[in-house]
Amino acid sequence: MKNTLTGKIRTAAAGLGIAGLLLAGQISAVSVSADAGAAFRTLDEIKESGTVNIGVFSDKSPFGYVDEYGEYQGYDVYFANRIGEDLGVEINYVSTEAANRIEYLQTGKVDIILANFTVTEERAEEVDFALPYMNVALGVVSPEDAVIESLDDIGPDDQVIVISGTTAETYLVKNNPEIKLQKYDAYAEAKTAFENGNGVAWANDNTEVIAFSIENEGYVVGIPSLGSQDTIAPAVTKGNESLLNWLNDEIRSLGEEEFFHRDYEETLLDTYGKDYEDTLVVEGGAAPEAAA
Amino acid sequence: MQNMGIDVLFKGRNFLRLLGGLWVAVRISLISVAISIVLGILMGMLMTLKNRPVQILCRIYLEIVRIMPQMVLLFIVYFGTTRVFGWNLSAEYAAIIVFSFWGTAEMGDLVRGSLISIPKIQYESARALGMKEGTLFRHVILPQTVRRLIPLSINLITRMIKTTSLVMMIGMVEVLKVAQQIIEANRKSSPNAAFGVFFVVFLLYFLICWPVSRAAVYLEKRWAE
Amino acid sequence: MDPGVIKSYLPLYRDALLLTLRIGWQGVLLAFIIGFLCVTAIRFKVPVVRVIVKGYIELFRNTPLLVQLFFLYFALPKIGIRLSPEFCGSLGLGLLGGAYMAETFRSGLDNIPVIQQESAESLGMNRLQAFRYVILPQAVASSVPGFLANTIFLLKETSVFSTISLMDLMFTAKDLIGMYAKTIECLTLLVVFYLIMLLPVSILGSFVERRLRHAEYGD
Repeated sequence: MKNTLTGKIRTAAAGLGIAGLLLAGQISAVSVSADAGAAFRTLDEIKESGTVNIGVFSDKSPFGYVDEYGEYQGYDVYFANRIGEDLGVEINYVSTEAANRIEYLQTGKVDIILANFTVTEERAEEVDFALPYMNVALGVVSPEDAVIESLDDIGPDDQVIVISGTTAETYLVKNNPEIKLQKYDAYAEAKTAFENGNGVAWANDNTEVIAFSIENEGYVVGIPSLGSQDTIAPAVTKGNESLLNWLNDEIRSLGEEEFFHRDYEETLLDTYGKDYEDTLVVEGGAAPEAAA
Repeated sequence: MQNMGIDVLFKGRNFLRLLGGLWVAVRISLISVAISIVLGILMGMLMTLKNRPVQILCRIYLEIVRIMPQMVLLFIVYFGTTRVFGWNLSAEYAAIIVFSFWGTAEMGDLVRGSLISIPKIQYESARALGMKEGTLFRHVILPQTVRRLIPLSINLITRMIKTTSLVMMIGMVEVLKVAQQIIEANRKSSPNAAFGVFFVVFLLYFLICWPVSRAAVYLEKRWAE
Repeated sequence: MDPGVIKSYLPLYRDALLLTLRIGWQGVLLAFIIGFLCVTAIRFKVPVVRVIVKGYIELFRNTPLLVQLFFLYFALPKIGIRLSPEFCGSLGLGLLGGAYMAETFRSGLDNIPVIQQESAESLGMNRLQAFRYVILPQAVASSVPGFLANTIFLLKETSVFSTISLMDLMFTAKDLIGMYAKTIECLTLLVVFYLIMLLPVSILGSFVERRLRHAEYGD
């Protein structure tokens, strides 16, 4: 009796199952690759598939954000668009958070990370960085009526806002463990919290905090440079040499046409003005021309 | 409304983008509930088997679903499976797996409950009337089970829609992420956008979930008679 | 899996567990109080308040905690109301949980046969006394499994606290993954700590449910 009953239920279930599958057909980009060996796609595989997956920020203006028409924009995205063009493939933008970036590469969820990714020794053990395209250091921004000009200005009960998974977080955890950190997942959250007065200061890439102080009244970058001078570069999954070499060649050849200066003028000029152009831009993967 | 920041929603395609984000949430929920109903019915039948190992396995499964936050399961399925098995699941696929895993447990428990609550006498009377097993199931057992399941499945849909707000954390661009993007892109021109935009998102969720949960309550009352 | 890594992360997870429990406990307590007040207002048909309470229940049962927290923590300061992350966490859980507790409580009350009220009144009790001594104890007892299920639900919901910068278990795991990329270790610890936190409550729930069924049906 149980068997016939089960049989009937299965028939009924099959009908519902088909309905479920039809709905599931709507899902885009369902890819299950059971190949545990290859966590990344080689250059040829990307070209063959016709799409490159690039991880960018979607809430970090003016480097990676989404405009009111739903289009990705910003300094990183301008470069990413060019990569897609030169590879001759479509781009699938994946919105990342700072703390996810390594994970996305290591699990092959994206081919390239172009999310304002600072090159550090620790990260270089986990992923492969291509040549740099931007200079960066850490910076600290605070309200102008209570400017933090040195880390010593931060009281024992004060909280400094950082974003989880950024170099600012790692730096402060390592070098100033006594400072209380208030951590957020996403740029949008951290900035809104800072505006709302939830922390005495916000520590992040200096590019980012400078942009914030320029765009928002009442904030000053009290510490414009903290820690070492670093660079920002595209990253690929460790061992993905074909893609890494292609990216390096691309960055070198883009240097000949002053691509990143153009990128700066298109995307960052409104925010930073002319002053920061030579400080920020790294052309052709060269060593920085001037240190900030 | 200028200073409350609702105006940013009327710039460009912003409002449509928010609705698009909401559709992502609804779509994931509908697919997951469809899968959960199918698997839940099978699961419920399994649970009525008087087989010790099966019962223990079912118990463990239910307990996992009950204890583990969906967020933890999402992380495990999205990142963990790639690490351990090399499966490369898209965020949407991972979300559907997790939600179905959760829904199947709930449905299974409900199906089990309704199967054992149907009095034995109904089987016996139906057989006495000369019904075959198939007819008995289709005309006697199934309608009663489905009646109980439908309101609960509708309820599950709203709970899933609410839970889809978590998929933002595994990189899916749904309504909350779109909201953040809009606030970020307009931080300079509209510093108070956070209020207006989050308020609208709050309302949107309510407007989607409320009618659905009212429908569930209505059906439950109507069929309870 | 690296035991050294796990050992060095343990204190962080312990702190996160304590924070989750502290805020969770406050939230659950608040949820109880709110739920109880709401049900009382509905039960005694307090004018106006009753309508507001019903609206509140519908509103908070039909929106996600994540969105509620976004609103409490990020949107309210824009109109001059600033709350600390911990307070927001407890308040958010309390408001969400209050709506659920109220529903659970109400169905507990609805399950008490009308005859009990009538008998109590025929014994000379007034409405308040009947509620206090006859209806309430039974309703509370039969709602206990529901309360425990809600408690588990609320403690699980703490996993979205990263949004408001609270270092709960989930955020601790995400943060460590972001800094040191030890995914497997972090996720394993995460699962273990959730088990430590919730398995006892869950087992208690099943136990109470069995006892109640035994009390009611004697089987």
